[in-house]
Amino acid sequence: MKLAYYPGCTLHGTAREYDASTKAVCKAANVELVEIEDWNCCGALEAIFDKELSMGLSARNNMKAQKTGLDLVIPCSICSHNLSRADSAMKNDNVFREKIERALGEKYEGVKIKHLLDVMVNDVGVDALAKKFIKQLKGIKAVPYYGCLLVRPSEVSKFDNPENPQSLDNLIKATGAECLPFTQKTRCCGGNLLMSKQDYAFILTKKLFDEAKSAGANCIVVACPMCHMLLDGQQAMVGKAHNAVIDMPVLYFTQLIGLAMGLSEKELELDKNMVTTTKLIDSIGKEEKKTEAKIETKAEAAE
Amino acid sequence: MIKTSELDPDFKYEIANEPGGENIKKCFNCTGCTVGCPVTEIDGAYNPRKILRKALLGMRNEVLTDDSLWLCASCYICYERCPQNVKITEVMGAIRAIAQREAKAGKIKLNNPKPVFDNLFIDSVKSNGKWYEAGVSGTFMLKTKGLGGLIGYAPMGMELFKKGKLGIMPHKIKGTKEIKRIFEEVEKK
Repeated sequence: MKLAYYPGCTLHGTAREYDASTKAVCKAANVELVEIEDWNCCGALEAIFDKELSMGLSARNNMKAQKTGLDLVIPCSICSHNLSRADSAMKNDNVFREKIERALGEKYEGVKIKHLLDVMVNDVGVDALAKKFIKQLKGIKAVPYYGCLLVRPSEVSKFDNPENPQSLDNLIKATGAECLPFTQKTRCCGGNLLMSKQDYAFILTKKLFDEAKSAGANCIVVACPMCHMLLDGQQAMVGKAHNAVIDMPVLYFTQLIGLAMGLSEKELELDKNMVTTTKLIDSIGKEEKKTEAKIETKAEAAE
Repeated sequence: MIKTSELDPDFKYEIANEPGGENIKKCFNCTGCTVGCPVTEIDGAYNPRKILRKALLGMRNEVLTDDSLWLCASCYICYERCPQNVKITEVMGAIRAIAQREAKAGKIKLNNPKPVFDNLFIDSVKSNGKWYEAGVSGTFMLKTKGLGGLIGYAPMGMELFKKGKLGIMPHKIKGTKEIKRIFEEVEKK
């Protein structure tokens, strides 16, 4: 499978481990990524309310992707949302399309845009991926966190249920890790308020940690760099603001499946996560051994 | 008390003419947006139903200067659940766009830091094609929280820099002229 690739600004900055692990995992899954040339920012959450600007900026990337003749894959939920809604506006709104075609001097035919999670779960397929998993991630007790734009609005993101999505759950289960029920799986992390109303953003994020902990999780798995920025990047600050020690590693789903594929921690850039993942990685397989040890002692006792 | 003489009956049409605001008149004020809103849950002052109702009644000035307008986290829960397909998240955007224009024209004053950040972000995309994280965040902190804010942000910036996650200089794309033309086209009314 060959796909055009739009990393988006964060994957070349604060979410570099998502970029690295995406590339490593795609390579292992025989998905070839062709990064589109000279791409630009999609406007992110900052232009999301300036609808035409946000879609206009995104449409330039769609034009670039169109030239490759390939479907476009995007790991960031915000970029994926913006580029997808730009594609549908370019197809359905003639006035808007004419504006952008005038600005760029090119005609737009359309491009098929998918989030990386959608590609992994539905195009590569969980079963096909599972065949590449050489390591059972027993010991990892994960909650799947989808956040907002990965599954909402469902008229833009069409691949999963907007209220109770399952794709990330299924992927986590396939790695042998435990996937715990998570009531907050599609609740907002407050990312868009991080700069302007930090105390509210932190209340929203803290709720996710509280629920993850009461579910018994030892890590949170995400598919969006903004969610990761709040949950991982800001975790120390959230803890400080709420006078709490959180200590909750947050993995990109690509890092999780990369571990199951037997890829090295270096390839997955696990050292770039702000919250240390060492203890979590060390716990893999440990629980299994513990049970085995218990059985042995019991057997010994019987003798 | 609402003074009918102070209402602007055209306000709803003004919103409907703004990209994203088209469906505002479909709202029948069922409150579905508000009961599921994660921001309302922590601060009752943010009430999307009230904003929509006031907008439909024509309380133009009150809506445009309402600080809570800037609290929407764009999580799209209300958008997803709205039985009337009002596209509330985008309606909020349309109202914000009008508020920003009024503020630029000096007719109202906005006190929330959100538009300050958004504008710095958008300006950096306009000149570079990508957003300049260190520059935008630093300038924002300095503008809204002063030198103390900038210094307070520095340790986080250093952590990110040490991990190779934060560039000191902006990254400019080749097609900045195309970006400028996109800005020009969408700014035309």
